Amino acid sequence: MKQKVRLGSGSGFWGDGMDPAMEVLEKGNLDYLCFDFLAELSMALLQRQKLKNPQAGYVPDAIHYMKAMMPMAREVGTKLISNGGGVNPRAAAERIVGDARALGLERTKVGLIEGDDILSKIEEMLQAGVTFANMETGDTTFSAVKDRIVSANAYTDSTGIIEALRGGCDIVIAGRVSDNAVYVGPVMHEFGWRHDSQHVDKIAAAIAVGHIVECAAGCTGGMSSRFAEMPHMGRVGFPIVDFFADGSADISKVPGSGGRVDQFTVKEHLVYEISDPRSYLMPDGIADFTSLKLEEVGADRVHISEVRGRAAPDTLKVVIGYQDGWIGESIAFFPWPHAYERTLKAKETMLERFERLKLNADQIHFDFIGLNTLHGPGAPMPDVDALAELNEVGLRCAVKTKTAEEAEKVRRAGAHLWIMGPGGTSFGTPIKPRPVVALWPTLIPREFVHQKVAILEA
Amino acid sequence: MARLLRDICYIRSGDKGDVCTAGLIAKTPQDYPFLVKTVTPEKVKQIYGEWVQGPVHCYRMDNIQAVVVVMKHALGGGATRTLRLDQTGKAMGHALLRLPVVA
Repeated sequence: MKQKVRLGSGSGFWGDGMDPAMEVLEKGNLDYLCFDFLAELSMALLQRQKLKNPQAGYVPDAIHYMKAMMPMAREVGTKLISNGGGVNPRAAAERIVGDARALGLERTKVGLIEGDDILSKIEEMLQAGVTFANMETGDTTFSAVKDRIVSANAYTDSTGIIEALRGGCDIVIAGRVSDNAVYVGPVMHEFGWRHDSQHVDKIAAAIAVGHIVECAAGCTGGMSSRFAEMPHMGRVGFPIVDFFADGSADISKVPGSGGRVDQFTVKEHLVYEISDPRSYLMPDGIADFTSLKLEEVGADRVHISEVRGRAAPDTLKVVIGYQDGWIGESIAFFPWPHAYERTLKAKETMLERFERLKLNADQIHFDFIGLNTLHGPGAPMPDVDALAELNEVGLRCAVKTKTAEEAEKVRRAGAHLWIMGPGGTSFGTPIKPRPVVALWPTLIPREFVHQKVAILEA
Repeated sequence: MARLLRDICYIRSGDKGDVCTAGLIAKTPQDYPFLVKTVTPEKVKQIYGEWVQGPVHCYRMDNIQAVVVVMKHALGGGATRTLRLDQTGKAMGHALLRLPVVA
């Protein structure tokens, strides 16, 4: 049996830089390069694209990445795994197969993972007694949003990825598998681990390591509190994992690349976007982040060991996207002297315009940019003298409405400030109203979700 | 002069739905007990006022000398429907660094 699997992280989100992924593929000597492309909102956006065009609905970047990387990946023997299939992994897989043929890479095997999309099953599930209670708010009135649903996807585990790899796939493209599963899958496959009681700690270790590296540069110096100490972040190295059969792992990066890997860059990502650290819940299992041990074992190299965990829960998380009105927004800036007073006057003027335009708003929000936009009530105001001397202050107004027409009034009122506003009012391009897709997270019994694996060959 | 949390720890802040999560990491093992004593749900609620509508939990991670602060109903409805600019709470947690360190 293999004693070590070497994985790289190729993407932390849809929109990440491709050059660090190419670098880690070229220089990383990897068994696998793994990509997370999906955020909570992505599925709803992609579902909308698919409605307009049945051939769309995957993350376009995922196709570009696979096309750009598969010649090198086939040559060096690195397998590419992603969740970039979005709500149309089949169309994505077919595109990748077509690209492989066009590149002369015959016999490239592409694994397609489906089954996370439960949009068409909701009615049936309701009748079977699934309540779809909101797991964040406890809200049980799912009927209030049911007629406005855009997307519904379960966060599925690594089972399908493992099956595809067992089938000899060079590339695996999935829909909504968890971000984490693109790392857990190859590790479980290589070591022959199963979702059973003997492997809970080892799977927990794969989950913990997957969490650390799944945002790519997030553990190599990106988003850091120590930003000033991070060299050459514009050419940051994406992380590399040496995962060992005993369930421990080393995290490192390509030598000579920007950024750092040390205990703090890893800790910073370990604590990122988690709830109770004793129970990091993934569809593959539960990891206890308070059990693990970190050691710096070399330059840009951190060893992680002793991860403990528990078996996977018998429910799966589902995120349902539903239409929830519109947001209208406007921004203007005001100069010294008396920048703050100008901003206050502009706010008063905006509110008068809203009255004249008979704006029907659900919620009106103002920010004083430079003073309280980011911390709200948690930002102390400067004293009167300091306020009077501020170089500039901005006014941001955001309004939640039921219709696009009402949201458009906010853009118009913002433009009216150009002449009705205080002297020195400056502005950029007006902001177009945007539709809101709100998210309804819920838990459902696993038996309603069945992953399907198909293997396509170029 | 009294030390602030910013003097003894690092932070990474983010979101999950309408939840803002902020991980505070002690700069040294000696700083960790002070970090634990300083961050309490009551003080977190007090800083953010109406911005945090739900309960706050503070979880200790003794193994890496960190505290994870989880604030519910804290992002104005979550990234896709909030009216705030910091839709994903990346900046929000940094206000915790203003807390005076409890000796």
